[in-house]
Amino acid sequence: MIWVEILSRQQEVAARFRIVGTEARIGRAYTNDVIVDDPYVAPEHLRLFRDEAGGLVVEDMGTANGVYLDGSKQRLARVLVDGRQPIRIGQTYLRIREGNFAVEPERIGRAERHALPLLLAAILCVALVAIDEVRTWLNQTSEVQPTTYLAPVLGVVIAVPIWAGVWALLSRIFSGRSFFIRHLLITLTGGLVISLYNEVAQFSAYALSWTAPLTYSFGPTWLVVAVMCFFHLTMIGPPRPWLKGSIVAGLLVVALAAQVLQLTEAFFRSGRQNTMRLLMPPALRIAPLRDEAAFFTEIGKLKSTIDADRAKAGPDDALR
Amino acid sequence: MALGDLLTVSIRRAFLPLLVMASMSGSLARAAPDASSAAQDIYASAPPRLLQIRTLVADAGQRQTSVGSGFLVSADGLAVTNYHVVSQFVLEPKTYRLEYAAADGSHGEVRVLGVDLPNDLAIVRLDKQDAPFFSFDAAAMAGNLAKGQRLYSMGNPLDLGFTISEGTYNGLVEHSYSEQIHFTGALNPGMSGGPTVTAEGAVVGVNVATRRGGQLISFLVPARFAAALVERVRGREAPSDLRAEVARQLTDSRTALYKAFAEKDFRSDTIGPYRAPATAVPWFDCWSSTNAGGIPKPRASINSISCSSETGVFVASDLHTGAIQISHSYVRSVDLNQFQLAAVLTQQSQPRLVGGGPFRKWYTPERCQEDFVRVAADAMHPPLRVIWCSQGYRPFEGLYDVVLTAVTQDQGSEALVSRLSLQAVGYDDAMSIGRRFLEAVQVAK
Repeated sequence: MIWVEILSRQQEVAARFRIVGTEARIGRAYTNDVIVDDPYVAPEHLRLFRDEAGGLVVEDMGTANGVYLDGSKQRLARVLVDGRQPIRIGQTYLRIREGNFAVEPERIGRAERHALPLLLAAILCVALVAIDEVRTWLNQTSEVQPTTYLAPVLGVVIAVPIWAGVWALLSRIFSGRSFFIRHLLITLTGGLVISLYNEVAQFSAYALSWTAPLTYSFGPTWLVVAVMCFFHLTMIGPPRPWLKGSIVAGLLVVALAAQVLQLTEAFFRSGRQNTMRLLMPPALRIAPLRDEAAFFTEIGKLKSTIDADRAKAGPDDALR
Repeated sequence: MALGDLLTVSIRRAFLPLLVMASMSGSLARAAPDASSAAQDIYASAPPRLLQIRTLVADAGQRQTSVGSGFLVSADGLAVTNYHVVSQFVLEPKTYRLEYAAADGSHGEVRVLGVDLPNDLAIVRLDKQDAPFFSFDAAAMAGNLAKGQRLYSMGNPLDLGFTISEGTYNGLVEHSYSEQIHFTGALNPGMSGGPTVTAEGAVVGVNVATRRGGQLISFLVPARFAAALVERVRGREAPSDLRAEVARQLTDSRTALYKAFAEKDFRSDTIGPYRAPATAVPWFDCWSSTNAGGIPKPRASINSISCSSETGVFVASDLHTGAIQISHSYVRSVDLNQFQLAAVLTQQSQPRLVGGGPFRKWYTPERCQEDFVRVAADAMHPPLRVIWCSQGYRPFEGLYDVVLTAVTQDQGSEALVSRLSLQAVGYDDAMSIGRRFLEAVQVAK
């Protein structure tokens, strides 16, 4: 018994034909044992038979497009098939196997293997929503409106599955498996890191009087997004970490450059820094109190910055 | 609050299209015949002494971009007008040119001899010899005018032709840094720079502004400033570049303003458990406000005091600067936790550097510094979160806008947000005033 399998581009079996005899014909015409609906395949394309040693051989029946081994560009008149490497005729991949082909042993399916990632995803999801809810609550300075508390939940419930879903779809298309839970975990972890970073940046802006992490928070945010994309990409198609890493790094540089340009332009146009001067409960202060003289020394230094701005702008620009 | 806004808006230039003229004299039966005959006399004699002053785009023919009035004060063609009537030409002499038009239909070139920026005056010279002219009123020069005296304001409102508007002298404006006459009478757009005269036709003041939203509340520059400026520039040739003079006068007048402001120590206003710095100088206008009546019921009570000085000067049609503002908000939690109150305070304490004109034309970018500051290690001085933001004036070296914000950090459930805003100030002046301001933020107990 011989099996002829027609494969998809992703090497999944699309159709399977059982050949009972010792010989078979493969082509587009209805006279064949295996019919291949591919316009680049000849009506009578291949003959399949056993050679003297008993090996399975396919033979080109004088076609225009010929027969190739998968991944090879060398046209062959005859191919001795081993059941593993597919062959290509026209745009169709075929795999030919003996009835006694040794398949892989049964995989061990364990229920616990799926429980842990799901649990982790649930925990991350709750953490993400909880941080957002707490933030909303702590900024609720007017009348309590339940809808404001709905926003973070909706965000996580809608945005996260969409993001993870798109990647899962790509995985499904290019690698055959969706890996939805893994994509979900990457998405949630990334979201949580960004969220926590923002909290820390805000805290440092107040407690340490160190505003740079908040002012430039777009940098770390883009970095996290890039890392997320890298991990998403590794699950699509062949691994190739260097290629994917450099594509993501390139996009990261472009995104950062665009954002810096946009902020510089905005500052140039408005003359205002887009910084929120944050206050928190005084008990959270970590930075020591400066004495007045030291603070005004710093302020004195601002003068030279402003004067440099003025020199750069050119004094006669305004009045011409 | 609405009223406060209305009145703290400093003096606005006379751009109200009001056409009411001398109608209020109807009820004063006895005064009316005299007044109207005086008006008729003035109407007969004034026109040849009056001018319309037009600003034209140099390359755009005979169409004016703005018009004002002016009046002759000497036989050799010196005339007084407002600085803001000729400011476009003074600041951008290559783009604009000036022309006068007289009642007899003659017109010609006008040269600016000098300006007085703080008093909004300018002296121009015409190619007109031996024309009749106005003289200044002796009593007004000595400051001896009687309140209630009838005055006649003249000009060419809205380019409609020569007009006299009758009104009353109400003395000098109170709580004002610069000396101005409070005139109850209609001043209309285009009358800027025209004279206001007594029944005898002697000049008392120069029309300068009305108060937006007021009824017949108008302001005049006292005649003695105009006379002094005439003396200063008489015999002088028209300077080729008056911009340096404008910059110098702005700097000098602001230096004098901040010196006068800094001379008086900050008093303290008690607001909640805090003492907030208040100025002792008389030319501030203060208003208080509260959110107590708000719906929905506020979750933090905010009571504010806001004081502003009406010291802004007209520099250009898009730059009006030189005002001082002090404001305090006492914020107390009603049912907010400390984080939520901090969120309210965050909204209240954003620096908000208010420029007097468009940023790109007049200012350098804003630069800020914020930190925790302890003014003195005693119980009276609470720890403060201080934000200092400043920007420079691109064309005026040595002048800056500064806003200093301080939030008390001694309590989690209440705080005082104090803000000091100084426009067109010298940097060192701003620093020393700022230090004293912070030192005056205290706990009352």
